[in-house]
Formats: sequence, C-alpha cells, structure tokens
Amino acid sequence: MRSGPMKTCLSLFLFGVIAVAQVRYEDILKGPGEDWTTYAGNYQGWRYSPLKQITVQNAGSMVPKWAYHVPDANGLRTSPIVYKGVMYVTDSNSLYALDARTGRSIWTYHDSKAKKKGVNRGAAILGDSVYFTTTDNYLVSLDRQTGDLLFSKKFGEVDKGTTSTSAPFAVKDKILVGSAGGDSGMRGFIVALSAKTGDELWRTWTVPAKGEPGSETWSDLHEWGGAGTWLSGTFDPDTNTLFWTTGNPWPDFAGAPRLGNDLYTCSLLALDLDTGKLKWYFQFTPHDTHDWDAQSWPVLVEIPWKDTHGVTAMRKVVLHANRNGFFYVLDRATGEFLRGTQLIDKQTWAKGLDDTGHPVLLPGKDPTPEGNWVCPSIKGGTNWMGQSYNPGTGLLYVLTLEECGMFTTSTQKPVPMKNFAGGGATEPGGQVVLRAIDPKTGKRAWEYPMTGSAKMWTGTVSTAAGVLFSGDDDGHMLALDAKTGRHLWHFNAGDLMTASPITYEVDGKQYVAIAAGTNVFAFGLFEPMQSTPLPKITRGAGSRPAEREP
Amino acid sequence: MRFVVTGLIFPALLAAQHGQAEGAAKAPHDPAAVAAGAKLYATSCSGCHGPDGSGARGPNLFHRLESHSLKDDELFGTIRNGVAGTDMPPTKLSDDDTWKLTAFIRALTGPANESPAPGNPAAGEKIFWGTKAACSDCHAILGRGSRMGPDLSDIGGSRPLGLIREALVPPKDDPSRNYALGGKEGVTVTMKNGTVIKGIARNRSNYSLQVVDTKGELHLIQMTDVKELAILDRSLMPDDYATRLSTEEMRDLLAFLARQSVRAPEVAQ
Repeated sequence: MRSGPMKTCLSLFLFGVIAVAQVRYEDILKGPGEDWTTYAGNYQGWRYSPLKQITVQNAGSMVPKWAYHVPDANGLRTSPIVYKGVMYVTDSNSLYALDARTGRSIWTYHDSKAKKKGVNRGAAILGDSVYFTTTDNYLVSLDRQTGDLLFSKKFGEVDKGTTSTSAPFAVKDKILVGSAGGDSGMRGFIVALSAKTGDELWRTWTVPAKGEPGSETWSDLHEWGGAGTWLSGTFDPDTNTLFWTTGNPWPDFAGAPRLGNDLYTCSLLALDLDTGKLKWYFQFTPHDTHDWDAQSWPVLVEIPWKDTHGVTAMRKVVLHANRNGFFYVLDRATGEFLRGTQLIDKQTWAKGLDDTGHPVLLPGKDPTPEGNWVCPSIKGGTNWMGQSYNPGTGLLYVLTLEECGMFTTSTQKPVPMKNFAGGGATEPGGQVVLRAIDPKTGKRAWEYPMTGSAKMWTGTVSTAAGVLFSGDDDGHMLALDAKTGRHLWHFNAGDLMTASPITYEVDGKQYVAIAAGTNVFAFGLFEPMQSTPLPKITRGAGSRPAEREP
Repeated sequence: MRFVVTGLIFPALLAAQHGQAEGAAKAPHDPAAVAAGAKLYATSCSGCHGPDGSGARGPNLFHRLESHSLKDDELFGTIRNGVAGTDMPPTKLSDDDTWKLTAFIRALTGPANESPAPGNPAAGEKIFWGTKAACSDCHAILGRGSRMGPDLSDIGGSRPLGLIREALVPPKDDPSRNYALGGKEGVTVTMKNGTVIKGIARNRSNYSLQVVDTKGELHLIQMTDVKELAILDRSLMPDDYATRLSTEEMRDLLAFLARQSVRAPEVAQ
C-alpha cells in the first residue's frame, strides 16, 4: 500500500461484521445450505435444500417478509443466488444486489450500452465475483460486495443472431455460458471462459460445420441451424463431465430446408469440462418441427436399477423431462437409453419410443400449410422451469402442461435473423399440472392440477423438511407436502410467475424467495416484529479521511 | 475556474483540427461535423451557455440534457426554433450548419469517451494512481483501487466531461454537484457491541443499513444493533482539487477519466 495521508486514515478503520471469504468451487460443490450458490442449487441440478425450519406442520404460518420491485421489469425470469446475506437477481442487462434479510438494494449494475434487451435467468458466483451476461453476449464480472466492475468480455456475436439469456455456470476455474436465439437463426455453442479474465478457454459448437461429423445430418443451413443452449447445465464432479441440453433446429416449423436429423439439436450433450470435447450425445427429437427444445435441464441422480439379468444395483443416471412430452432415464456414463415414459397424458405425435429411445412417429403430425393439430403444443409437455429432485422422497417434481396446438408452415423463404420460424403454432390454452414422478419407475406419485391461463414458467424447490415450493399458473406462491402433494400454504403475488423459487437462511431464519412478474418476494415463518428504536443520529460536516491527518 | 475554461474549450479546438464537414448534415457522431459545430458554438452560443457549456446567462447544457434528454431531431429543433418565452432565440443558420451545431452539442453533453478530450491520458493515469490526487484511495477502475467509493470503470462511457469535471471541482454556486458520481452518505456506525464501522452507506432506512467500509467490505446492519449513527453532511469526495492539482494535471486526469469505458465508444475517434 502506498504511504500518505490515506494510509494513516485507513489504519484507523478496523472491523468487519461479515466474514470476508471467497466462494470456492468446493463450497458450491457442497450444495445449498444457508446459501444458494448456483442456479439449480447444486451441480447435479436438484433444486433441493437441506433447510428444515419451514416444515409440513408450520408452513401454513408463512408470511411475506419483503418485496423488491425491479425497476422496469417485465416477466422476471431470474432465479436468485444468495451468499452471506446478499441476494443477486438479474434482469435485462442488469444485476441487483439486495440485502437478503430486508430486500433493500445494496447496489445495481446496468449496462446501458448493450445492443439488445431480453430476458435474463440469473447470476453465478465464484471467488469474490458475481457474474451475469448481457443480452448482447458480454460476460460481466463484478465485485460481489460492492458491484465494482472487474471485467466485461464479449463471447458471442449478436450480429449473427446469438443472444444470451441463461445464468452463467461456475465450475472450478471456469465460467460456462450458453447461447440463445435459435428461433431466428444462429449457430449454437457452449463456451468456457476464464473466471479471472473472461478469456475464452474452449468453445463447442452445437451444430457441426460442413465436413465435420454430424454435418451429414443437415441438408443445408448449418450456419444458422440453431441448437441454442439457453439454460444452464449440470455437472458430474466424479467424471468431470458437463451435461448441457440444446434447443430446436431452425427454421422451427419448416423441416424441408434441413432434411436429416439435424445434429445436435434437441439433444443432451455430455462434455469434458477441461476441453469441451463431446463424450456422448443423445437426441430426443430428431428433425424436430415443433420447436420442442430439449431445454429442461438434465438431473443427475443415482437410483436402484434392474439390469438385463434381473440384478438390481445402484446406477448413475440422467433424468430428463422433455418438451416433446416424454420423461427419459439415460445412463450417465454412456448416454444409453434406459427408459422413456409419457410425461403428460395428451401426446399424439409418437406411438412411443423404440428400444434406443428414438420416437416412433405417427403420420400427419408435421406442420403443413393447412395445419396439423398436435399434442403437446409448442410450449411442450414441460419447458425450462426448474425441476426439483428430493432425495428424501426420491421424487422428481416437474411442472407439466396439458395443451395441444395447431402447427402450420409458411411459404416464406427462410431468412436468418428475420425471426422467420418457417410457420407458426397456436397456444389455445390448457391445464398446468405439477407432477411428482418416481424416477425408479417413471410413474407418477401424485399430481396437483392448477387453474390459470397456461402461460406460467414457474419451477420448484424442495427441502429436507419435506416441503415443496412452487408457483401456480394463477400467480400464487405455493407450499405443498412433497410426499403427498397436499396443499399447505399459498400467497397471491398478484402477477404471472415466470421464474423458479429458491430457499436460503440468514441469521438462523429460513426464507423462500421467488421473482414474480416485476417483483422479488421473500417469505418466512411469521414472528411478531420487535420495535426498532431509532439510534442516536448526528449529522455534520465531520472530517474527510484525507483531512484526519494532523 | 481558469483551468476549466482551458480544459473544455480545448475539445472543440482539437476537434476542429479534423477539418470542416462539408455537407455532413445530420451526422451527430461525425468528428468533422463536431469540429465545425464547435466553431459555430463559439460564435453563436457560448455567450449565453458559456465556452464550455457550463452555463452563464443561459442554462448549463450538460445539466439540462442530463435531466431532459433530447433526441437529435429535438435538439436540432430547439436550436432552429429557439425556446419560446425565454431568451433563447431562433437561429438563421442553414440546415447543414444547424446539424453541425447539433453534433457539437451532442458531443459536449454525451459520454466523454465519444469525443476527443484534451490532455495526456498517460500522465493522467499516473495522477489517478498517485498520492497527490489519491483518487484510488476511494475509487477503483476494473478492480484496481479501493472499492469504497463509486467505481470509475465506466466513468468516461457514462458521463459527459463537464460532469466529471464538476465532480472534481464542484461549482461554487451548486456544491450538490459534488454528488454527481453517485456518492452516498459517509457514515460512522457505532454498534451496541462497541464495534465502529466507517464507510459509505449504499442504502439506509430506519430499519436496516448497508455500508461499504474503507476496505471495500460490505456490512449488512440491522438498526436494532446500532447505538449511534454519525452521518457526514457532505460528500467524502475532496473539494480541493482546484488547488491540489495544477491546470495541466487536472487536464491530464480528466483526459484519463474520459477514456474509462466498459464498451468501446460508438464512434472511432
């Protein structure tokens, strides 16, 4: 440190109420406790918390603790990160740091020069930094305490149709970022950036270039084929493997210009964390023509599994509830298809899945100029809303949608970045149902139907106390018994919910938080408020630090 | 205030070196149009708005456009038509010249990094990190420096040069401009347990307080734990830079600050 008046002055100031500690990879690896340090809570994508203060017995006495209105917000998608009493939420090109006990703003970062506006699903935290991406593809690193800018680095070209909407994913010394924009033509990728500098470490394209393996599955349009990666991935530390899903091919509803399976759209990719090299892939919907991204994230669990010889042993698997209406179980090491069951009741496009997991198509379900009525609708049997896996109940909780729609094609010539999707699809309304699925059997343990407009995007979080939190299709925050689906508590947040809840603890008190429409809410158990006496407040010109030195 | 005049009339002169912008109408970011507009401003506008835009008989332009932003067409219209009921007259300048003037006003009131600033930024950088100005005892740029005061990583990309200058040397008639960089209340918090925290309050209510201390560490405080709170009635920003730094040092420091931007300027300089 330099000498001079400030040095003496600084030495007069001591103390620290909050322990200053870096967020280490090992801390995130442990999963949630008091803090919630990664988008899905833990690397395995469980959205599960060990907190037990709010129980099945007392959840009925939950009350709102605070609300924070995000300026100019519209349909917030953010899933909060919480660390050491500070909550980080994002919106278009903005990150807000809030006091997680009170909801008071601490600092805001806004990139007013971003070339585009769009939704944003959240932040990541690692070391002393909090990270988020701008809509025009800059990774922004900020001091997690003060919001000071550490770097802002471009990783994608908005002029080539790529935008960014997902929460960055912090693993070891890397920040992994996906790509969005696949509905108007772009070439998807997953990129690993240095957490310290933002420099690119590797990039894996999700549509092969001409001549590369997989490019034979395209007749044309490789350069604009889509396969966006617009939700965070999950990570298996034992095998150093990233699991990341990909979106639909472009043009969405016109299959003719891209005959073939269109790899690696609508797929799950297993990638080596250090190199980005593809270990295996599984394509759920080859040659998709219904905009059924595989975006729902891959959940990593270990469950008892009976092999072909009838012997039951624990097996590491990937669970995936797909937009196409099926629920998949894959082997985590190889991607081998183990089982596929129907996620929803109304599914009319496939007779089922064959032994390799490929769909057995029914005729007359592709979009046509006249239109074909298909279930599920464009929104899918589920979507990007956060699922929760609860090791206590052994159940996976998934928001599903029973809706059908009319899929049509257009005679327009596909033009990248003109938002031409090759046709259209209707969303006439349907029924949202929260379903508890037993991954061991693929069967439903219970379900909770909701009222509403079938427009919600709310996910779930569940706890060791056996409480499941979600938002319903009518703007209510919900608490259900995770074992039975029995209603415990609800709160009308007054707005359509489009984000997933989390839970955290500060000063020994458990909170449940969700971004609802234009506000972030935090809930907790009721307790009578203690009077807050005003302290002795003095005002004056005082002395500036530099003037303290005699 | 001498250095101010010297400092801010300079961009116009520098810009003028780019030459005239013949027929460069409706080109608000064109350096040649800015340069031509600077000459027009000096003869037609500076009498009322001051040679640096900081106002005299007429309003301070960068304050006015900060609180009432105008699109290029609207700014053009204001210059062309004047402002009814005020001393601002309509102009008889041609469309082309009015656009050049618009370009200059836009440069004067837009982000500092989008126009050439006078001075030596390399020398200004040394001043910023040195002990004489001691800027980095409170401020950081891209993570270097103290985190207590406002981050200056984007100061040139987000503020006109005139506002940055006012943060360094507040106008005598309006010391509140000292807060133009987003400074918050300086506080000394004495907790009931005897701990004392000094720093800048990022937010404060009767019920909670969020403070970044002099080491850049964040404290989340419940007011039930606070015994005494001393609030500084003025900004922690020193107000003696006009005497602490020479005219050249101030110009160089401004040149350095003007170049601090998260994004590259929209126009190549």
